[in-house]
Amino acid sequence: MHRDPITVTPDDTLAHALRLTRRERIRHLPVVLPTGGIVGMLSDRDIRLAMPSPLTVTDEERTGFLEQTPVAAVMTREVITVAPTETIEEAARVLYRHRIGSVPVVDAGGTLRGILTETDILHAFVQILGGSEPASRIEIALPDRPGELARVIRLIGEELKLNIVSIVVPSLAAQERKTALVHLGTIDPREAVEALEAAGYQVGWPSLDADLRAPESDR
Amino acid sequence: MKSALIWDECFTAYRFRPDHPFNPKRLELSVSLIEALGLTGGPGVVIVPPRPATDEELLRVHSPEFIAAVKRLGREGPSAPDDGCAWGLGTDDNPIFPGMHEATAMVVGGTLRAAEMVMSGEATRAFNIAGGLHHGHHARASGFCVYNDLAATIAWIREAHGARVLYVDYDAHHGDGVQALFYSDPEVLTLSIHESGRYLFPGTGFVDELGEDEGYGFSLNLPMEPFTEDGSWLESFSAILEDACEAFRPEVIVLQNGCDSHALDPLTHLRCTTRVSEESVRRVVEMADRFCEGRIIATGGGGYAIWQVVPRAWTLVWAALSGQPASNAIPREWLERWQGESPVLLPERLRDDPEAVTPIPRRAEIETSNRTVAASLRRSALPLLRGWSMGF
Repeated sequence: MHRDPITVTPDDTLAHALRLTRRERIRHLPVVLPTGGIVGMLSDRDIRLAMPSPLTVTDEERTGFLEQTPVAAVMTREVITVAPTETIEEAARVLYRHRIGSVPVVDAGGTLRGILTETDILHAFVQILGGSEPASRIEIALPDRPGELARVIRLIGEELKLNIVSIVVPSLAAQERKTALVHLGTIDPREAVEALEAAGYQVGWPSLDADLRAPESDR
Repeated sequence: MKSALIWDECFTAYRFRPDHPFNPKRLELSVSLIEALGLTGGPGVVIVPPRPATDEELLRVHSPEFIAAVKRLGREGPSAPDDGCAWGLGTDDNPIFPGMHEATAMVVGGTLRAAEMVMSGEATRAFNIAGGLHHGHHARASGFCVYNDLAATIAWIREAHGARVLYVDYDAHHGDGVQALFYSDPEVLTLSIHESGRYLFPGTGFVDELGEDEGYGFSLNLPMEPFTEDGSWLESFSAILEDACEAFRPEVIVLQNGCDSHALDPLTHLRCTTRVSEESVRRVVEMADRFCEGRIIATGGGGYAIWQVVPRAWTLVWAALSGQPASNAIPREWLERWQGESPVLLPERLRDDPEAVTPIPRRAEIETSNRTVAASLRRSALPLLRGWSMGF
């Protein structure tokens, strides 16, 4: 989340708000009272939708409208928020479920603490998938039953003593097997690939025999 | 034209452990093949020993804490099983070995020596065959690289001469350390062509990694599909090299010659031959002659098919750099000297036979994909390099 987000008050004009979104290159402005409490959200889209059409009024009238209309007249009042202690996955669900581009982070006292945007979620996603440390990436097909992941980790981590930089097992709809995406902290994962294959796992790693991108039925 | 080969047997002290893939035997094999082919005796060719890099030279790119840790671990060994982990040392890739600091400082000093000769005009080309440790980071060893000789050398060139440096890296792995250390520097243009990081270490080097801040547009990456062959590789490389040079106008080129894109290399999935080494250098030489009075500082790099590929590839690199013709037959005495020790049959020709390459399935698809990548890099990077775009 971004701490100290750029905000407006309900009495600010739309012209001021629009200038802020352009200058700071942001799309969402929390609307807060001088006491720090959040009372609404204003997006650049809210402003544009409220503006009179350039086909029916003159430029001067449009400018006048922006200069005279307060933020309070246009802002969304039912604000969806998350708490500072909320998990990243729940925050992502909130954005996804409500189809919104950002969510203000508000504490129990109603005070705005920050703002979390789609880009922040994507950044967290990239980090979760392990893109920030040098590593080799392999995919391991796992039968969906207890103990399989433990076995893989024992093989790689304990027997081969390789560092697992990241491991993600997406939980999709019920299926017979899952695919673990593993980043190994080595330039030479040959031993790991061989050991996993010898233990009966199908490993995703460039191979001329098995085209990784082909649908499973073609393999 | 004068060309210097930086070499001394002391380079073989950069050795992690006997069964490690980064085996200094490949240096002895390469230099002995260069000698056997008479490529050290030509006019204007000199062999120059390296000298160790000083702490000051290492500090231009590495943190003092990291250097202190490398010194201590190489002198005393680890004090606990995970001592060194924070620095990327003591892993399977980068085991701690006695004298680690001194051995790596010599590799760095070798590349610095090469740069001193080229920048002073003593030589037009200089080749530190032991250099090329492009994965070394500011405070972390990675991918067989402790210190980063390339970055330390580029930093020295910037400080001592202020020259604009083009860094070209055609190792099969992304040159992540060098890229990261100059990511925001518009006076250092890094160009790395490599197997895609989708699976391969270090997992970076995608087209959208263009640099940051002032350096936005000055990091270029060409990630190639696994199983890419010579034709597509060289086509992609040429598609950006010349235009990048015209826009950037380098004053010196630093060239990393990893030869692990070869089909026989055990660590990668490419299907290139020795032609990639010879042709890449030839094209870089052409650019150096056109833009920077021929100045090239070259190093070795990756290459793990140490018997069948590395000696031939680096001999071709040296011949192309020093402008000496290399005959295709490998001298009998060289084969006899090494065949007994080699676990595999040594090739008798310097260059792979293009006729002997079996075409791979999916060739058309791989070539199309690589062309798309090269076009996308041109589209996003060239306007930035030419200064047409503000970078938004």
